[in-house]
Amino acid sequence: MNLPVRKDGGFFLLLAAGVLIFTGAAQPPLWYLYLLLLALPGIVLYVTRTWNDRMFYILCAGQPLVIALSAVQVWAGLFSVWMLGAIVLAALGMLEPGDDLLTYAAFCGATLVIAAGIDASGHVLLPLLIIGGLTAVFAMVFTVREYRFRKQYAGAPP
Amino acid sequence: MRLKRCAQGISLLVILLSACALILDDPAILLAGSTLLAGLFGLWYSFDRRFRQAVASIRVTRSLERAVVRTGTTLRVTTAITMQVPSHLQVTVSEILPAGVVVQDGETAASSGTSSSPETFRLAYRITPLVHGTMHFSGITLVVQDYFFENSIVLSAEPFRGPALSVQPRGLFEPSGRGLTAETREIEKMALLSGLGVRAMREYYAGDDLRRIDWKLTAKHNKLFIREYAGVVNLPPLIVVDLPWRGASCPAEAFERMVAAVAGMVEHSTKMHQYSTVLLVSGPNILHFLIEEKDLQRSISALREWMHPVERTAHFYRMADRSDLRSRVRALEIQSGRTQDPSTQKFLGSVKKQYLRSLGAHQTHAFNAQVARTLIPLTVDEVYVFSLVAGDASHLVQLIRQAKAMKLRVHVRIPQLPDLVSSTLSPGRLGADTVEAFA
Repeated sequence: MNLPVRKDGGFFLLLAAGVLIFTGAAQPPLWYLYLLLLALPGIVLYVTRTWNDRMFYILCAGQPLVIALSAVQVWAGLFSVWMLGAIVLAALGMLEPGDDLLTYAAFCGATLVIAAGIDASGHVLLPLLIIGGLTAVFAMVFTVREYRFRKQYAGAPP
Repeated sequence: MRLKRCAQGISLLVILLSACALILDDPAILLAGSTLLAGLFGLWYSFDRRFRQAVASIRVTRSLERAVVRTGTTLRVTTAITMQVPSHLQVTVSEILPAGVVVQDGETAASSGTSSSPETFRLAYRITPLVHGTMHFSGITLVVQDYFFENSIVLSAEPFRGPALSVQPRGLFEPSGRGLTAETREIEKMALLSGLGVRAMREYYAGDDLRRIDWKLTAKHNKLFIREYAGVVNLPPLIVVDLPWRGASCPAEAFERMVAAVAGMVEHSTKMHQYSTVLLVSGPNILHFLIEEKDLQRSISALREWMHPVERTAHFYRMADRSDLRSRVRALEIQSGRTQDPSTQKFLGSVKKQYLRSLGAHQTHAFNAQVARTLIPLTVDEVYVFSLVAGDASHLVQLIRQAKAMKLRVHVRIPQLPDLVSSTLSPGRLGADTVEAFA
């Protein structure tokens, strides 16, 4: 199906709609700040549309909005994270049906768990330690998997 | 696995956000940092999965032009690597070459685009083994990258290896006592057209052309004698191309001119004489011999394949042969006879002793024998030698000597180098009939 906008632009429109709904519903005192912070990834998305390494800039530009929304409501921040992730994957062309969508769904699930944990904790130290520990475990698992994989294909020296 | 610039930036961002979150005790910043980390892990997992798919789909078929060769022989290797290139990945495959070989030309690596499709990389190249022994092609190296990560793996398991190349040794010198002369070469022979030179005299036989009677000899011996004139044949020249060593600097412009000159001479030879004969050497290494090739296109394609700087298996460095050493000994003897100073005489005597010792242990280089064996069966009377003379020209001297021993006229064609022409590359020094610059 041919959409009137590019996929990454479409997800940005979704993000904008979400932010507008949030500001309308929650009516935070500095409501215009969210609109300004929303404009930042929009501008970067447009300016870097021909760049090869635009993903990093889009992510950087989106972080102030994620932090600002999370400060008020964690779930709003999580929504912006999902949309930013979708924008980046769509910009890469990695949001096709199949494995790509499953990976994105796994990302959404993992971030949901993280957000729930952080929301329940209310502080930083314990979640940070848990995240750090999980990161170390994941890195170790990946390293072992890669070692076994290399061993399988590298073979014995001639 | 290596993080590329984009992933490095995200990692730095994660660290900065986590540090800020810890300092400020702000869960919102921690959420931003930890979700970025989760995204990075997701990308890593996705990359790793596609990397494994790519590796598992690889099939390698490698074929060698010959399985058994001698040291210094150039052979063609063709490798077909078929694999499923996952989407959004850029793949580079490269051959792992055995130690002790040099690549003369061709491609030993290939890259794909980022489209997802089964792709076949065809690598065709020529190698020259420099050492003897059994050489194994030990596999390929695969490098896969996307925007965030890069990973490489050496695939040297059984399906990616082989075949083995057996390289037999080749001596630098010829065994002593082996005849190298070209005495058996037939120089004068009968032909349809007669020349002006008299080849022989013989008695008259009935049916001989009366115009060929030599009246002086007839009067002297009181018998009819007939002149047998030398045959006239239109022989194409032997074109010898001395390719420069890859390690030496040679001007590209001069090399291009040499290529053009050789191609022109091959074309002329094929048109005028119906075939051309080209001997490609590089230093004291015979690379390829194109013998009496009638097809101009095949000659030109062979030239296109070979005409580039090559790696040399053997090198000469001001190599003196037996006659050089003898002439130096004679020169020393003359010099010693002229001088009255005892210390100078002693010095010249010791130098002469060294030369005589070298002469005693002198061996014929394999190159000389190969050149002789190459020239003997040829029916040529002229040799054109094309060279850039980048470096030592001893091999040219040896080659020209072999040709002159077979009574061939030798013409050397070099780039325009006035200082060299006037000194080391004069016709006298080289032994050539002419030394000219090619156009």
